Amino acid sequence: MTASSPEHPYKRLSPLTPLVRGFYVVVAFVVTSWDDMLRGDVGPIGWILLALLIGGLVFGTASWLRTKYWIEGDELRVDTGLISRQSRRIRVDRLQGIDIVQPLAARVFGLAELKMDVAGGGSSEGSLAYLPLHEARELREQLLARREAVREAAVPAGAAPAAPPEPERVIARLDLGMLVVSLLLSGETVGFLLSAVVLGVVFAVFGSLGGVAGVVPVLIAFGAAQLRKLLAFYGFTVARTSSGLQVRRGLFELSTQTIALARVQGLVVTEPWMWRGLGWARLDVALAGKTGSEGDGKPAASTVMPVASRAFVAQLAAYLLESASGHVGVRPDAVPLRATPERARWAAPVRRKYLSAGLDEHVLVGREGVLTRRIHVVPHARVQSLRLHQGPWQRRLGLADLLVDSPPGPVRLRARHRDAPEARRLLAEADELARAARRTG
Amino acid sequence: MDEVFAPPGNAWRPVSPALARLRRVTLLAVAVVLLVAVVVAGMLAPLPRGLVALACVVLVLATIFGWVLIGRNARWWGYAERDEDLYIKHGALFRKLVVVPYGRMQYVDVQAGPLDQLFGVANVHLHTASPGTSARIPGLPAAEATRLRDRLTSLGEAQAAGL
Repeated sequence: MTASSPEHPYKRLSPLTPLVRGFYVVVAFVVTSWDDMLRGDVGPIGWILLALLIGGLVFGTASWLRTKYWIEGDELRVDTGLISRQSRRIRVDRLQGIDIVQPLAARVFGLAELKMDVAGGGSSEGSLAYLPLHEARELREQLLARREAVREAAVPAGAAPAAPPEPERVIARLDLGMLVVSLLLSGETVGFLLSAVVLGVVFAVFGSLGGVAGVVPVLIAFGAAQLRKLLAFYGFTVARTSSGLQVRRGLFELSTQTIALARVQGLVVTEPWMWRGLGWARLDVALAGKTGSEGDGKPAASTVMPVASRAFVAQLAAYLLESASGHVGVRPDAVPLRATPERARWAAPVRRKYLSAGLDEHVLVGREGVLTRRIHVVPHARVQSLRLHQGPWQRRLGLADLLVDSPPGPVRLRARHRDAPEARRLLAEADELARAARRTG
Repeated sequence: MDEVFAPPGNAWRPVSPALARLRRVTLLAVAVVLLVAVVVAGMLAPLPRGLVALACVVLVLATIFGWVLIGRNARWWGYAERDEDLYIKHGALFRKLVVVPYGRMQYVDVQAGPLDQLFGVANVHLHTASPGTSARIPGLPAAEATRLRDRLTSLGEAQAAGL
């Protein structure tokens, strides 16, 4: 067994890797067999787990021995595979983002996983698990520096000089109290409290939970979802770095994500009704090649700020859009929004009051939502396509919808029930501006 | 025509009249099969005569309605090539207009099923990075579909903008 090219100073993953991968089996073994072990005896479940553990460790160690990585030219090369060998080459200039993730087990041993976001690749395309944390950080910096070098070389000489590397600067740190309050002030909490009250009343009146006991698991699920958000958003920190905006978060599972500003396709400012009195809002971005949506109670990967004052969110949004478009003075909150015509109430009696849209020379803005208000912002330079829809009822009323298409993600800008000729004018105007924006880049 | 769905500058280019013919043939085939099924069922099963007759009348009316609708819909398909983007409009009842910049196109599909080939038409489908972009032109004459695809791809490459 020789390395494919022994002259390369290759590196290995951390030797603790098999242990981390089998961590949960170890825990399960200890938990299930603790009593038995004290008696000097191991039960049948214990034996199965032990066999699994030893098998896993042997396999893991062998696979660790076979895994090597090194940087060669413009490529990160990873050789893996116990039975069928794999040699993966990841071109650094294809790297969209590099995230450092620390699951709990890895964190116990001070290890981290390096996740590489490759353009057009699946999720498992680029991942190195596990590396010592400092090594992961070093490799990340190394890869980013290499990427910059490659990209600069691709730009013809005489182009704009590269900006000097900016030192990391923390621009926001989420206060734990604010996070807890924001999670408590949510629809889930209201549902939780209401059902809890109902359960309590039922218990007090009938002395037993009887038929409604089935609600209990639902309640627990509600609580668990909120708890999961709390754990994931704990210690949320946003920092400015030379390669983009860096987001760090998590209590047990630490994650570091870098948002390359050039990949920002648009953003959403969300204001749930219970936050509105406090003037709080949330900021999500849509990134090219990354689909992060908030399903099964897990927080979205696209969240740039889980909760902050409206003014700060607006400031952050302006910063993101300015860096993404290269223009100064992009103020999404200053775009003049126009309401829908009065007659739109025949098409959307409740929503009409909350629908508005507008554009300026940099961005398109659409606002909607009765309870949870959402403001979608898409820069002209990132518009994929524009659509105009008109149903038979809207035609009778002289209304039409203007839709702006973005890559899959949280941003879905729809200016619904506009005055039909105005919608067409907006479409033409947005098309003109997008054309100009594409030309300047 | 409606100013909201007016062509951008020059006139809309219509799709091939073969599209309406193709869809009407399909409609008739389905209607005939259903009609036969209803009549056979009426003869085999002890169903009241009136019910069978009513079903036949409904089927015939639905077919006539579909016939008219197909004609209207086919007339509403139109596209306009501009120097940097393509406009497509369709839908007689639910009117839709989409603008796709050439620089945003990821790829262009030309597809023609057996029936399409019989009628000498093809469907062109444009894809961008957004799944929402529903830019498709059915029932183009085969030669026009190829020409459009080639033009779109060459313009798309020339004007490609970063994501």
